[in-house]
Amino acid sequence: MRAYIIRRLIQSILVIFAVTTIMFFMFRIVPADPTAMMVERGMSEEARQALLERWGLTGSLWDQYLRYIGGLVVGDFGDSFFYRQPVWDVLVPRIVNSLWIALPGLLLGALIGSGLGMIVGWSRRGGVIERSGVLGATIIRGTPSFILGIALLAIFSSWLGWLPGFGMGDSHGKEGWARFLQVEFFIHLILPVLAVIIYFLPENLLLMRSGVVENKHEDYIELVRAKGVSEKRVAWHAGRNSLLPLITWLFPALAETIAGIVVIEIVFSWPGIGRELVLAVTRQDFPLAQAAFFLMAVMIVLANLAADLAYGKLDPRVVYK
Amino acid sequence: MQNLTKTTSSRQRYSWLTGPFQAVLRDRFALVGLIIIAIYVLIAIFAEFIATHPPFEAALTETGRLNRLQPPTADHWFGTTTFGHDVFSQFILGFRVALLVGFLGAFAVGIISTLFGVVAGYFGGIVDDVLMRITDIALSIPTLPFAIVAVGLLGPSINNTIIVIVVLFWRNGARIIRSAVLTERERVYVRWARAAGASHTHVILKHIVPNVFRVVFLWVTMSVAFAILTEASLSFIGLGDPSTTSWGQILNTAFASGNLRTAWWWVVPPSLALVVLISALYLVGRAFEEYNNPRLRGDK
Repeated sequence: MRAYIIRRLIQSILVIFAVTTIMFFMFRIVPADPTAMMVERGMSEEARQALLERWGLTGSLWDQYLRYIGGLVVGDFGDSFFYRQPVWDVLVPRIVNSLWIALPGLLLGALIGSGLGMIVGWSRRGGVIERSGVLGATIIRGTPSFILGIALLAIFSSWLGWLPGFGMGDSHGKEGWARFLQVEFFIHLILPVLAVIIYFLPENLLLMRSGVVENKHEDYIELVRAKGVSEKRVAWHAGRNSLLPLITWLFPALAETIAGIVVIEIVFSWPGIGRELVLAVTRQDFPLAQAAFFLMAVMIVLANLAADLAYGKLDPRVVYK
Repeated sequence: MQNLTKTTSSRQRYSWLTGPFQAVLRDRFALVGLIIIAIYVLIAIFAEFIATHPPFEAALTETGRLNRLQPPTADHWFGTTTFGHDVFSQFILGFRVALLVGFLGAFAVGIISTLFGVVAGYFGGIVDDVLMRITDIALSIPTLPFAIVAVGLLGPSINNTIIVIVVLFWRNGARIIRSAVLTERERVYVRWARAAGASHTHVILKHIVPNVFRVVFLWVTMSVAFAILTEASLSFIGLGDPSTTSWGQILNTAFASGNLRTAWWWVVPPSLALVVLISALYLVGRAFEEYNNPRLRGDK
């Protein structure tokens, strides 16, 4: 077990290293001039050099690469071209903002989705519940997240006028946790979180349904039924065993959510890491874009690692080599 | 069913090809999905004849002013945009962009992931290790962020969008196809074929590929949907090909110009078209999935 963990850990570090390398060269080779954004016109040659030096853009590509990796190891992502401050300081609050909509959205989506999935999976094959459940989930799953966001905006913000759909509300000069503990913030939170919930619901529903359908003809279910317990409890037995793929799905899902809710953040002008990435790319703010991308990749690798380890803990049939 | 007689009818011989289609025809939802896709293809092919105006022509009113944000009329069936462009024509030309990106992208994804999956799964050993480590690296790349960065750096165009889609979606397909190949490889008849002196090429083409074809088919179908979704998301973000009118782009223009709330005629058609198309693809994909996984059919 310990050998397995160590091996997976080393593997994860290598994967992160590879992704970082690919990304670094993508950012440096593809654009014609990575400095175009920050070097102002009419700048003297010395001033230009000083600027380039400050942003680690001097020397050969290889030198730059070594310096970049060296910086990453000690947690230095460099400075943002646009904000003129350390990338880290820009990104941390954005990640917190993203988590505010990603975490509740994902958890509620998984909870409601798997609950509905259990019902749909257990219902009579070809019946009304089964068919409408599957069809409904498929259509919602086929709805791009920005259309979902637009629909929510149109209904609750424009038509009914109940909820705001833009940004996080006025901070009233408060900082830190106090900024989030305001009624206005929570009101602004509702629509984006709702969008994330609906975005994740169908996937969970269909996953859970497949699990229940696969399990409900197994012998052990017959045995449970033979014990004479209520049909509800029998359904729970099948459902519980279908939870396993769901739990292992949850870790990578959180990482994927943070990467995947980019579009939802844009629709609701939510200042998260995904929206910042898009802004950085359009502003050609490469240090910032690179760091945002790096953090998302690291999250995905760590989440997969956690899922692998959790799976072994939860399923006694899994043996580590 | 195993056929023990020597003469196999052509119907049985090609069952690996016809089987998935029959599965779609049997499933009522999937059949509806297939019909919808067929209609979309027809509209895409004849888009130029159906469109009533050039997509970027600014419509003028009788008094010579820009006819902007006009609700649907006899001349402009779906109204006009804030720039006086005809929504209906842009919408119709969007069919072509979506299907082009979807089918071309998925076709390339299918070929690459099949190659990767079959080679890794069939040969195993070091080849498998190396190919799977490459897949591991590819799998840890965040999907949409990569698309945003890559298209942002390469420049927004249809070609670059398709390239990014192929780079992103071969990886999961390779994984799935590889595991299908792993089970096929161990079948007794495959070992017999090898023992009887059949070449690797022969075994792969005659025994492995036909038997994993249904998995390939499922993945290609899903890839069409993923490709269309990715193109739409990129375009909505503002990274779409500026010379075309994709549905994502139409919505981006409506969103960026702040007319999302009022100009329903501008927003609803492309949204509906996207939802219906992707759902139709998922319905067809679901039929393949049930065909591949008999435990899901529930006819035990």
